Amino acid sequence: METKLLTEFYHLDEFRTLPGYQKQGGYEVLKKALKMQPQQIIDEVKASGLRGRGGAGFPTGMKWGFLPKNNEPRYLLCNADEGEPGTFKDRLMMERAPHQLIEGMIISGYAVGSQKGYIYVRGEYHYPISVLRKAVEEAYAAGLLGKNILGSGINFDLDVYSGAGAYICGEETGMISSLEGLKGQPKLKPPFPAVQGYLRKPTIVNNVETLAAVVPIIKDGAAAYRKFGTEKSAGTKLFSLSGNVVRPGNYEVPLAYPLKDLIYKLGGGMKPGRKLKAVIPGGSSAPVLTAEEAEKVNLDYESIAAAGSMLGSGAVIVIDDSQCMVDMLGVLTHFYHHESCGQCTPCREGTGWLNKIVHSILEGRGRLQDIELLIKVADNMKGRTICALSDAAALPVLSFVTKFRDEFEYFVREGHSKVRGVRNAEMHH
Amino acid sequence: MPKCTINGKEIEVKEGTTIIEAMYGSGEQKGEWPAGKVAHYCWHPGLSVAGVCRLCMVQIEGNPRLQIACNTVVTEGMKINNTSDAVKDAAKWGLDFHLINHPLDCPICDQAGECGLQDQYMEFGKYNPEMAEKKVKKHKVVDLGPTVVLDSERCILCSRCVRFTEEVSKTNELGIFNRGDRSEIGTFDGKPLDNKYSMNTVDICPVGALTSKDFRFRQRVWYLKDSNTICNGCSTGCNVKVYFNREGFFRVKPVYNEQVNGYWMCDEGRDVYKFANRENRWLKAKKRTSAGWEEMQPGAAAKEAGMVAKSAGANAALVLTGQYTVEEYEAIISNFVNELKSKNVFHWMNMPEKAEDFDGLLLRGDKNPNTKGLLQILQKYGISTKWSDLTAGLASGTIKTVVVAGPEIQVQFPDMKDKIKELSKAQNLIWMQSGKNSDLEALTGNVWLIPMKSYVEKDGTFVNYAGLAQKFKKVTTVISEALTLAEAGDLLVGKMLAIKPEPNVFVEAVRPPDRVVVEHRKKNEFVYRRGTL
Repeated sequence: METKLLTEFYHLDEFRTLPGYQKQGGYEVLKKALKMQPQQIIDEVKASGLRGRGGAGFPTGMKWGFLPKNNEPRYLLCNADEGEPGTFKDRLMMERAPHQLIEGMIISGYAVGSQKGYIYVRGEYHYPISVLRKAVEEAYAAGLLGKNILGSGINFDLDVYSGAGAYICGEETGMISSLEGLKGQPKLKPPFPAVQGYLRKPTIVNNVETLAAVVPIIKDGAAAYRKFGTEKSAGTKLFSLSGNVVRPGNYEVPLAYPLKDLIYKLGGGMKPGRKLKAVIPGGSSAPVLTAEEAEKVNLDYESIAAAGSMLGSGAVIVIDDSQCMVDMLGVLTHFYHHESCGQCTPCREGTGWLNKIVHSILEGRGRLQDIELLIKVADNMKGRTICALSDAAALPVLSFVTKFRDEFEYFVREGHSKVRGVRNAEMHH
Repeated sequence: MPKCTINGKEIEVKEGTTIIEAMYGSGEQKGEWPAGKVAHYCWHPGLSVAGVCRLCMVQIEGNPRLQIACNTVVTEGMKINNTSDAVKDAAKWGLDFHLINHPLDCPICDQAGECGLQDQYMEFGKYNPEMAEKKVKKHKVVDLGPTVVLDSERCILCSRCVRFTEEVSKTNELGIFNRGDRSEIGTFDGKPLDNKYSMNTVDICPVGALTSKDFRFRQRVWYLKDSNTICNGCSTGCNVKVYFNREGFFRVKPVYNEQVNGYWMCDEGRDVYKFANRENRWLKAKKRTSAGWEEMQPGAAAKEAGMVAKSAGANAALVLTGQYTVEEYEAIISNFVNELKSKNVFHWMNMPEKAEDFDGLLLRGDKNPNTKGLLQILQKYGISTKWSDLTAGLASGTIKTVVVAGPEIQVQFPDMKDKIKELSKAQNLIWMQSGKNSDLEALTGNVWLIPMKSYVEKDGTFVNYAGLAQKFKKVTTVISEALTLAEAGDLLVGKMLAIKPEPNVFVEAVRPPDRVVVEHRKKNEFVYRRGTL
């Protein structure tokens, strides 16, 4: 069973309009929040144990606490540049419940003392952008955005900004660069955005789901939110289930929900005659889990970390025994090679190198030492760069090669896939 | 003032200093890496921190991850080392990542011999490259602008040049286009890299990606010697290094001086070496006779011209440009004042209307290295003449003989033609300068043309616009018979010239310290000897 804290009314088409949203109690929480002190809201969010839903899982309340305690203007940015392969939850949230996000942003903006927010939406998300823009217009018309919101004396302006289709702009400082009109490249840290971010002003960047989750937290209180999940992974989360399952889609479940149940109960299990081979539990950057590992883990930060992977953005990619792991890695290395911003040398050169090695294996030109070389290159890309893209490119390589080494060795030895056989050897061209 | 320990050496630094700055050294030791060298490409002491080459990894006690030295500020008690295996490994792989798509065309690359990749690979490299894939192809021989050529394949994308145009020249011509390993340095269409400081990008380029159009393919750097001197291109007095061999001078690069030019110099200043080269110089003195020009030894010519000057006595005039050293002014003016009893010393100022111009960085309107120095000496001898006095004197005939110390950089003297015309009205004209000039050679009448030493051939002092006196040493000799202004001054008033034997950079044997007359000096001192270079 799903636990629909955020997605309860997503089946209603009218929920995306202001009247439809208000019919289900929309913007009532905002009224409640505006009567609270900003610090109270921050404390409530801290107490709720909410962690960033974009991928890194950083405690939201703590992030807000890094802002300087003064009256300097500051920005609240919503990271809706949902680019992690396998992830499609933010898209659903923006399409089905734009007002939920807007309400969450107004409350968060009030809490952190920001009067200006931006929603940075992935460039390819034309439809969500149009839905969001319409919702923002409605909210302005209803006095929910702009000056003196609901007569409270609080101001909050909100703009929807369309990205231009770069994965790296989902990295928070890359997004800030892009929003500033610069080339979308991550910035050197320190200084961190909370101190010096957008336009060199203190800036908070939160994911769509994180900001939306502020609404139920303020509505029912931290304790009610904490009923779901575990001590360190509280609340519910949307999981984007994709790959070789019968019913792929977005599912909202409490954290610590068993991965097995997500696949077999909610997702309807494997297709007839197929066996689970592997699962990528948190978007393509997360290390892959084997079937045995996957059946044991729960969907929370600690459990997946203990299994050597990451909860990430909650994109669960299910891989059955019809898939060739070398093929899959080829897709991933190609993606990271294409998306590396090129700033830091290990990532710029390393992503290309990895991609070339995997593809020379795929083209039947692989050498046995290439497998060891993949590990060496990936190892030396890890933790050496400004942002996490280098790690994101290295981790899948390391996990694919170490956990499915036999498939790689077979491919190198035989010149074709262990799974696909000699059929379609030129698939990659 | 936090104290830290770097590779076991305790270092005290200013608040806010980064680790790499602490390692680079400060004050006298600046640039000497007193606590050990750290590999780096993107960091440059004169530019902002980019933190992209990821080579300057160091280990900080208590921090599980390696940190980059360029963006980590030293805190009290920090214990830093870059000699551990983890750091060495990171540098090795970091260098390999830089090299996997590098063309390794060192044999045909201009940077070879002074290349950051070569130098640092020798010191920190992995030595067993494992790249077996095809390299990325990029644009080669990209014409970035009037002075610089780009080879994108050699480029390691350290972004130094981009930051230079952003932060120093503030012209923003360069950018990095595309992303990932397809990234390339480039300029916007129709907006080439064209500013007065563009060649600095070539200096700071750690590899052979940016090469100077003026210098590329002309010499291998290991066939060049270098020596520090002061630029004589304008009154800023940038500290520079000139590169030369027996074929002449080839290029000029800036030398760091916090008080004067920082890390940079202008493009104009990089051309001045050309005026010192043999092909642009007078090799012999010339005397105009009825039969035409008669070639003479410069010393003999100066002596002969000296008879004329002496007989003119107080009717002789001296015209000085701001392109000679303080010592030379002192010598020649004292001779004029004391021996000839003439106070007809005039200052030929080129472009006086632009003298106060300043572009905010280095370039100044006064295109003489030593205007201040000349004014100081003139003041010392109580000389305050105006150019109109000279014009009047020539018209009335009270000035019969004019001795001119002409400019070394003639292109900065747009009034050259006019002045030659005006001064040739004198009965006798003794024109001394280093470079050729066709207008002078077209003169008739009593004219002596005497070749002078250029700024790289003498010791001396320039006083810059701010009154800062900078001493410099002789670099080498190009035309051994040419005279300095001081020597010429002595000869002009009939003194014998005692020449101290100069330590010669090229010839090992020390010449006996006998009295050498100018005419008998060794002819060509440009002797190339293998071993010393």
